[in-house]
Amino acid sequence: MAVLRKPFSLLGIAALLSWLALLAAALLYAHPGLGGVPYSTPAGLILILQALFTAVVFLYERKSPERLRGVDFIGLLQRMLLGPALLAVSSVGLHQLLQMLLPDYTTGSVLHTVLYTLNVGLFVLLLARTNYAWRTLMLFRSSERLQRQWVAFELLLGATLLLRLLPYTPPAGLSAAVLGVLAAFGVYLSGRQKWVAYLSRRQKLEAVLLQLAIIGVMGIFVAYFLYTRLGFRMVGPAPQNAFLLLNAFFASFYALMGLLVTFFNLPTAGVFEQKREEILSMQRLTQLIQRGQTTAEVYQMFFDSAIQTTGADAAWLQIEAIDEEDRHDLYYQLPADQGSAIRGMLAEFNLGNLEYFNNDLSGGSFRQLQLPFGSLMVMPLSSSKRQYGNIYLLQEPVQAFDRESLSILQTFASQTVLSIENLQLIQASMRTQRVQDELKIASAVQDSLIPKNLPIDNWFEISSYAVAATEVGGDFYDFLHLPGRRLAVLIGDVSGKGVTAAFHVAQMKGIFHALMQENPLARNEREKYPVPSQFMTQANDALGRCLEKSAFITASLYIIDYEHGGFVFARAGHCHTLYYHSIKEEVSYFQTPGLGLGIIRHDGYEKHIKNQFYDYNPSDVMVIYTDGIVEARDAAQDEYGEERLQRMLEESYYLDADQIKAHILADLHEFTKGQPMHDDQTLLVIKFRSAQPEAGH
Amino acid sequence: MKITQHATDTTLTLALNGELDASSSVLLDNELSKPEILRTQKVLIDCQQLNYISSAGLGVFISHLQTFQDANVKLVFFNMQEKVRNVFEILGLDSLMTIVPSEADAAAV
Repeated sequence: MAVLRKPFSLLGIAALLSWLALLAAALLYAHPGLGGVPYSTPAGLILILQALFTAVVFLYERKSPERLRGVDFIGLLQRMLLGPALLAVSSVGLHQLLQMLLPDYTTGSVLHTVLYTLNVGLFVLLLARTNYAWRTLMLFRSSERLQRQWVAFELLLGATLLLRLLPYTPPAGLSAAVLGVLAAFGVYLSGRQKWVAYLSRRQKLEAVLLQLAIIGVMGIFVAYFLYTRLGFRMVGPAPQNAFLLLNAFFASFYALMGLLVTFFNLPTAGVFEQKREEILSMQRLTQLIQRGQTTAEVYQMFFDSAIQTTGADAAWLQIEAIDEEDRHDLYYQLPADQGSAIRGMLAEFNLGNLEYFNNDLSGGSFRQLQLPFGSLMVMPLSSSKRQYGNIYLLQEPVQAFDRESLSILQTFASQTVLSIENLQLIQASMRTQRVQDELKIASAVQDSLIPKNLPIDNWFEISSYAVAATEVGGDFYDFLHLPGRRLAVLIGDVSGKGVTAAFHVAQMKGIFHALMQENPLARNEREKYPVPSQFMTQANDALGRCLEKSAFITASLYIIDYEHGGFVFARAGHCHTLYYHSIKEEVSYFQTPGLGLGIIRHDGYEKHIKNQFYDYNPSDVMVIYTDGIVEARDAAQDEYGEERLQRMLEESYYLDADQIKAHILADLHEFTKGQPMHDDQTLLVIKFRSAQPEAGH
Repeated sequence: MKITQHATDTTLTLALNGELDASSSVLLDNELSKPEILRTQKVLIDCQQLNYISSAGLGVFISHLQTFQDANVKLVFFNMQEKVRNVFEILGLDSLMTIVPSEADAAAV
């Protein structure tokens, strides 16, 4: 059975059983020999059974789960009134009705006794419920000390229940003294009415009515017990009944005190509610930022809150717009021309953008504006960075605003400015984030332009190194296999850094692949592909139309013919080629003239570019690089330089291409240790080998 | 970067002091962009105190090269340090611009 699962339901069953026992005893007392039972209850037993019943009911209520939900005090009172109180009052009403309608039948009848006993039971139940409801209210957010005091009160009251067991009646004076002391304790506890502060104005009104009803119910019972004549009395001012008396007194008195406290709190309820509203508005304002709302929403929120909390009849939020998107002016019951007139008037007195309030617009200079308002309050929205605007609040009566509302408005205004500036920060950081994301994409795109697979063949070794100083770089290199056992190698550097440079890199690569196509109109093998100087002239032509005026590109193009063991190259303003001649056992730079691309943009570039032919020998080493290598700086701001690079090759020419590169880089990194990288660095090492005949040749 | 000017009826001399990099080249560009500069016959650049020139610095001269030629204004560099001259040479600018050893040579151009 469901009831048995809950331990306190045992108490409920015990209460029912003890009441039935009380009923039986009462019936046998009032009507001895009823139903053929040859027994007459002694008066003392009734009192003992009643005490037992009372104790069980009170214990049952004490163990019941907390009936208060959150701070729903009204609900607690309502449930109590509509539950046990209504039941008890109905039962009393029924008994009274029967007594009136059938006076002969009821008095002294069995039904009379049953109803009376039932009403006593219901009264005890109501008292228990009321007292424990009061406990809930009293101990709401209370101190430990008060809780201990309540337990003491309970114990003392419980002790009075035992008075019935005393074999003799104590002297009247002593009883009265005990009762008086306990009643005083109850009065003292009745002063604990903290819960009232948590009620809104409307709830306070409801609480007053509910408490009146509870007092009324208690009154009904007093009247009922006083006027119901019976052969015996289970409730009365005898010392034996001290417990019920004291409880009834406490229940009524606490309700009375609560009523008074609530009643006298009513006039101030409005202020409490306004404070609450202010706090809520502030919370809403703060939450708006967290939810990442727009500036317009923050202004709207501020405007609404300001009107609500100051009770303004008209208002204008004037925002100094920086651009069209920034127009957030808001009006409430105020024609725009009246707003401007007020603003103009204040500016005339040098009071624009200042905190201001005027509680009598009917006098002074404002009189001439003939506004239908008596009071004005102005609050600027400003931070150390910027003046955002002002809010104008108007009320029809004079003397409507006070210092208090001004300070609330000030708090709102500073919170709003904080929100707006936070929003701006968030938006700025989002923009930065987007730019960074785009740079990452650009970086990835550029990365895909760098040749991943170096050309592999048995006639050379090649090793590369490329690092960009920023996300996207201006250095580039590329390879292209041409028919006839030839390889085109391009290296270059776009002036400037960043995204613009990266675009030109992509462009340059496009030009490289476009120009290095077979010319179908070529008359002989040699003309099928442009020689480096032709390539540079055509590239200069193409770039001249799109490079900005101050930008230029340096590049070197090498076409290596390994069938014939030679190469041809042109240097368009790019760094000189470092070369190890194995025959001469000498390291030197190829000193060739050549102008950078995009410097002259008319015809005549071909005069500034030369082809250089060279027949290489096995074990020759070619080092090509960008200026990020030779212009790298050490702590003393000295440049790495061509001489040092040359020395590195002199030290390492006999090694593999990979090892030569590693040797140079180790020295370079040692040189620039601890210094930031200023420019992109690219380094290619090509080492020629004696060509091995390919399979099938 | 510091730029000092000295002007005569026909000549404007700009003495560059320091490093001509991306940020300082804006200053130089402002000087060379003044419209009255095209009314002189010669613009002399004193490079004695110029320790370093970046590609942005070179870009400033390159961007004004055509305008100067069209207006028949001569652009002459003198007193150039070896290091800086090397940068001009690598880029091939020595074939487009007049670089002379001394101020006297520059005046004689």
